[in-house]
Amino acid sequence: MVRTATLALLLAAGTLPTGVAAQQGSALAAERSAYAEWLSSATTSPLAAVAMQRIGKGVTLGPDTTDIPLQGFGPATVSEQKGAVTLTGPDGRNRFLPRGRAVTIAPYTFQVLGQSGTSVLVVYGTAGGAPPGWYAPDPAVRFTVALEAPASRERRRVLTLDGIDVEAELAGHLTVPLGASGTRLQVMRMPIPGTEETELQIYFRDATNDHGTYPAGRFVEVTRTASGQYLVDFNRTRNPFCAYSSVYPCPVPWSGNRIPDAVEAGEKYLPHEPGS
Amino acid sequence: MDSGSTPLTARLCNGADCQPFSAIVTRADTIIFEMADYAASIRAVQRGDSLVGAYSNVGNRGPRTIPFRAARGRWPAEPAGPALLGIWNAWFGAEDRQTPRILEFLDGPEGLLGTVLSNSGDYGTFWGGADGTRFSLGHFDGSFVYMITGEVVDGAIEGIFHAGLRSQTPFRATRSQGEPHLKPPTEVTTADTTAPFRFAFPDLQGRIVTNDDPRFRGKVVMVDIFGTWCPNCQDAAPTLLELYHAYHGQGFEVVSLAYEVTGDPEIDGQLVRRFKEKYGIPWPILLAGMNDTDLTAATLPQLEGFTAYPTLVFLDRTGRVRRIHAGFYGPATGIQHTKLKADLHTYVEELLSLK
Repeated sequence: MVRTATLALLLAAGTLPTGVAAQQGSALAAERSAYAEWLSSATTSPLAAVAMQRIGKGVTLGPDTTDIPLQGFGPATVSEQKGAVTLTGPDGRNRFLPRGRAVTIAPYTFQVLGQSGTSVLVVYGTAGGAPPGWYAPDPAVRFTVALEAPASRERRRVLTLDGIDVEAELAGHLTVPLGASGTRLQVMRMPIPGTEETELQIYFRDATNDHGTYPAGRFVEVTRTASGQYLVDFNRTRNPFCAYSSVYPCPVPWSGNRIPDAVEAGEKYLPHEPGS
Repeated sequence: MDSGSTPLTARLCNGADCQPFSAIVTRADTIIFEMADYAASIRAVQRGDSLVGAYSNVGNRGPRTIPFRAARGRWPAEPAGPALLGIWNAWFGAEDRQTPRILEFLDGPEGLLGTVLSNSGDYGTFWGGADGTRFSLGHFDGSFVYMITGEVVDGAIEGIFHAGLRSQTPFRATRSQGEPHLKPPTEVTTADTTAPFRFAFPDLQGRIVTNDDPRFRGKVVMVDIFGTWCPNCQDAAPTLLELYHAYHGQGFEVVSLAYEVTGDPEIDGQLVRRFKEKYGIPWPILLAGMNDTDLTAATLPQLEGFTAYPTLVFLDRTGRVRRIHAGFYGPATGIQHTKLKADLHTYVEELLSLK
């Protein structure tokens, strides 16, 4: 006899049903494990990035005299016309580089990111390198708080986690119970390039910067809960991609987003060896 | 899920609209539901009478996961009151960057059903329930996780459109009085009409097929720009087949230009062959390129403002573009779907009548 049941999906954004909360620890461990594997093995891992450049009027690749010298490759040019990005190889053959998609032309992988007209080319070599590791999970740095609306509309050009220049909107402020009397942090609503979606992010600094975490600061995502509150889980704090490779531009710290305490949670930082 | 069968089978359902998973793997106490088309999976562990786990896929910034809990049974079929049911004109986004959508709510045997239409098509079937004037409906197709929540207040809807866990777009909607709210699908994309519409791409055997091919000469031709990955294109296929069978004998031809995921003819060719067999498509399908709207526009330079899959380009007997229809309203849109089908039939008849 066939018995059927329908999977009723409940999105879990902070206010998890009883029983699911117990899964948080293992969910975080699974996320970290998947991310570490991606960092060390994916063809588009930031640890494998060898160059990142705005395409503008065109980028040349290959010999040492080109914009992006690539040993054993080219000469080639990458150009953008009406949003379509094309790589023209030494044989004159054109190859389209679809936005957001990895295209491997051995020994390199190419990826076009950003919006049409301001596209950025990222070149990846061989994946590798050790993920930086994380602090042990700490349930005490997971907060569900209110988001205070901004007094007026404010837009600002900022860099995303992966170094893409976007126009973000101030979503408001939230206060987390860190520091002597709590710390008020700016939350920006940032467009996700190539999609119609946005995400809420906080780029912050704290006392661990340069003492275990990346000196310029770290990102933590904010998600809205079913009750209309907002979840900030510092265990999920992430490094900007410039922490993995100097080819990425590093976001300028957001003014005022400084937590006086040491937030010993989330992703750590392993400084690059000189020349690496 | 069919837990009584061996091996385990499961489908992903939005209301009565169900799709199979590409693979189901059991490892120890974990069940993995694979969605190969989207490089995504659901990992679940049974806890009592529930499944708990996470949905995950890989984006440009690494893997993403969304935790979930699944309860056995079905959503209660909660009928919504007349205050909510019907068609609404919505504006999504902040005040100075609003984009229009149309929302439609109806009560079905499975509970409250809804659709969201944009200028380029619909988002599929939404399914959920209402509690008085408040409602919540979800849609999950393996790639996109959407939820629409809101409340009817003083005859208007104030709501939020959720995309995954990250994106929440506020919207406001007022009841439609039948006035146009979206840009007509025939005005989204335009074309150069001074010369025949040109295309030249390989078919599944690698033979280049062009607009000058004898099979198209002197015929009314519908060029279907589509991708096998696109849910609206899957929705469109049966309607295009109806048109073909109704009018092929009168000089109507169809050619599909496939814009696929990898750009590798071998991999894309397999996907397209599966699509052709699934729907029994008798007309040529050509491997035109990759599914990036900018790249598609680059391969078809006579089009201006290409934004939607599918896009239907209608050519008269001289090969010139007479009409372009961007997007497709699928069966989830109810009356819009019926109206579109009737409109396409009328239009093909009109083109066939031109000498």
